[in-house]
Amino acid sequence: MENKNQVNVKINGLAYSVPKGSTILNACKGAGVDVPTLCFLEDVSQNASCGICVVEVKGGKSLIRSCITEVFENMEISTNSIKVREARKMNLELILANHPNDCLNCLRNQNCELQTMAANLGIKEGRFVRTKPMDMLDESSLSITRDPNKCILCKRCVNVCAYTQTVFAIDIVNRGLKSKVAPYMDKGIGNVACTNCGQCALVCPTGAITEVDNTAEVWSDLQNPDKVVLVQTAPAIRVAIGEAMGMEQGALVTGKMVSALRKLGFNKVFDTDFTADLTIMEEGHELIKRLTKGGTLPMITSCSPGWIKFIEHFFPEQLDHLSTCKSPQQMFGSLAKTFYAEKMHIDPRKISVVSIMPCTAKKYEAKRPEMMGAFDFWKEKMNLNEDEKFYDIDHVLTTRELSRMFKEAGINFAGLAEEEFDSPLGASTGAAVLFGATGGVMEAAVRTAYEVVVGKPLPSLDLKVVRGFEGIKEAELDLNGTKVKVAVAHTLKNARTLMEQIEKGESPYHFIEVMTCPGGCLGGGGQPIPTTWAIRQKRADSIYSEDRKKGLRKSHENPEVAALYKDFLKEPLGHLSHELLHTEYTKRGIFV
Amino acid sequence: MGTITAPDLAATDRAKIDAIVNKFKDRQGALLGILEESQKQNKNSYLSEEVLTYISFKTKVPLSRIYSVVTFYSFFNLKPQGKHNIVVCRGTACHTKGSKALLDDVAVLMGGEKELEGGEPTFTTSDNEFTVRTVACFGQCALAPVVAIDGVIHSNVTTIQMRKLVSKISKGRNLR
Repeated sequence: MENKNQVNVKINGLAYSVPKGSTILNACKGAGVDVPTLCFLEDVSQNASCGICVVEVKGGKSLIRSCITEVFENMEISTNSIKVREARKMNLELILANHPNDCLNCLRNQNCELQTMAANLGIKEGRFVRTKPMDMLDESSLSITRDPNKCILCKRCVNVCAYTQTVFAIDIVNRGLKSKVAPYMDKGIGNVACTNCGQCALVCPTGAITEVDNTAEVWSDLQNPDKVVLVQTAPAIRVAIGEAMGMEQGALVTGKMVSALRKLGFNKVFDTDFTADLTIMEEGHELIKRLTKGGTLPMITSCSPGWIKFIEHFFPEQLDHLSTCKSPQQMFGSLAKTFYAEKMHIDPRKISVVSIMPCTAKKYEAKRPEMMGAFDFWKEKMNLNEDEKFYDIDHVLTTRELSRMFKEAGINFAGLAEEEFDSPLGASTGAAVLFGATGGVMEAAVRTAYEVVVGKPLPSLDLKVVRGFEGIKEAELDLNGTKVKVAVAHTLKNARTLMEQIEKGESPYHFIEVMTCPGGCLGGGGQPIPTTWAIRQKRADSIYSEDRKKGLRKSHENPEVAALYKDFLKEPLGHLSHELLHTEYTKRGIFV
Repeated sequence: MGTITAPDLAATDRAKIDAIVNKFKDRQGALLGILEESQKQNKNSYLSEEVLTYISFKTKVPLSRIYSVVTFYSFFNLKPQGKHNIVVCRGTACHTKGSKALLDDVAVLMGGEKELEGGEPTFTTSDNEFTVRTVACFGQCALAPVVAIDGVIHSNVTTIQMRKLVSKISKGRNLR
């Protein structure tokens, strides 16, 4: 019987029944026929600007872009006729004519869709010369570098910024040959309302948008005998760095990562998971305080620096909703140069703290002027001048940068033995590793808050309702008779929805977790390219399996965090906590 | 959208733009009309950064989108325009009849050779008297080469004629 939801098509002479309304591209994919694409990116970009995905349709006057054309009954499609192949090649040659021939010096060398496409389509010579005017590098941002000369105008970055993040920092400007991607008035991306999330770099098919490369500074510190170089690794690195080093997607490589970092020459290898547990202690108590003693509700998490910059730009009147907790990265920096320096009798000025983050926004966060807690702590004690100021965090590297350093050092990553983090800033619980996935901070916070308030452990530690990739997830908890409503959002678009509710006074929630990037940190702007939903899922699976493997799964059970409170901080939300672990925010507005 | 502080703009300009935005309220495609009228009410017929920012604030259209629109249409000026404008047609017919030489001559007369050589399609004299620009085609190809001065189209223009026309409106201005 005829199915109303299917249409019959022929692809390269073979008959298929495909879903009605699907694009030729998806129909071909479903039939197992590969059509090459360049500007197209599932869920992000469908602009038909590159002309690589063209196919021939019987009866059609010209070739058709398969990414935007729907199939119809009895359509006869040819995906690889000589006409199609020649057109694809010509379109690619025209794109390549305006693309610099400097693959060997490009950060995306060997991981570039344009390069791969040129190889796949068999481009052997450049018949055309550059016609586009050359443009300046945009180095205005601490997080992202833009090289408009490498841009192929696929618009993926514009779309992800506008529709995944609702930030609209960039758009296509000018016309014809002068078309390019630029921020408002071509001011430089660091000078407009950009959140530094780096999703643009993650979707860029070429080297036109990349992370700011800070590897040289880290090499330099590693070679400096006067420096004590400490490294911390974010929860989402252990499920992604293996992938960047040629292992399978989502490979869980905590022990190998620690070993490789030691081989690079770091004096101590510590874990941001330690301060993630600490964040739960501080933030959990802050929430309980706001719930019981009064305070702005809903309280919103503050770990994700892209989100922080977003709310500062777009909702500057709502900053009281943010938890005052610094992010785990910044808590680590403050403690490394105070608690650890004191304990080990090291001059804090000699300590260099390097963070390995899945995130480009962390580079900006580390250089916010308020992130000098350790300097303020030591200023009087050590009689320091203002010109001796130092940041809590010295350098931030993304997963991609770290993988380049491992490769440069000739580290055979997959073959390494597993090693343990150093003490005392290296112990962590299963709750901490969850910070790498959307819903994870919430799950970790609930495990601790429930026990603190109710006095007995949660019946089931796995809070499945806040797991998964749904845009906004919600749950209700019963804390000794008090109903607490919580929500979890990932991507700034979903965060905006929750903020608009708050603005209207219609938010039903007490506690909200926001992570800037799709899927949370495991899909961060500094993660390996490509990062697709299937890959995000594999990284998430590894995060939850790491949590299950841990003997301790609740932040308040972390023995080193307990020792830190006993020996140094005294109590959550105490005086020293306020000085070192909490921060304030800036009303920025959009018109910066 | 949250309470966002309004960008800096003189109160008088603010009132003018408020009125324009109001006029186009709830109309589809309002942005183009708002931009056009805002440019028209400026005495140097251009859209300054402050005005564009204020339009974004009023219309809630993102800054990057507004910049994308104003840079797409050559009608919108982002720099102050001269009192008089000279438009040289660079369409195919005019080109074959020597419009490139005409354009170069105007540039020399006005002292704008450097801008044109630098790839700018337009320049304005430093005293803000003249703006010279090009157009792809006036649709008056039979009369090529064609030049429009302050909106009046002149046909079969030669360098000598051009010099006369320009000196007529430049009122004693020193032409090179």
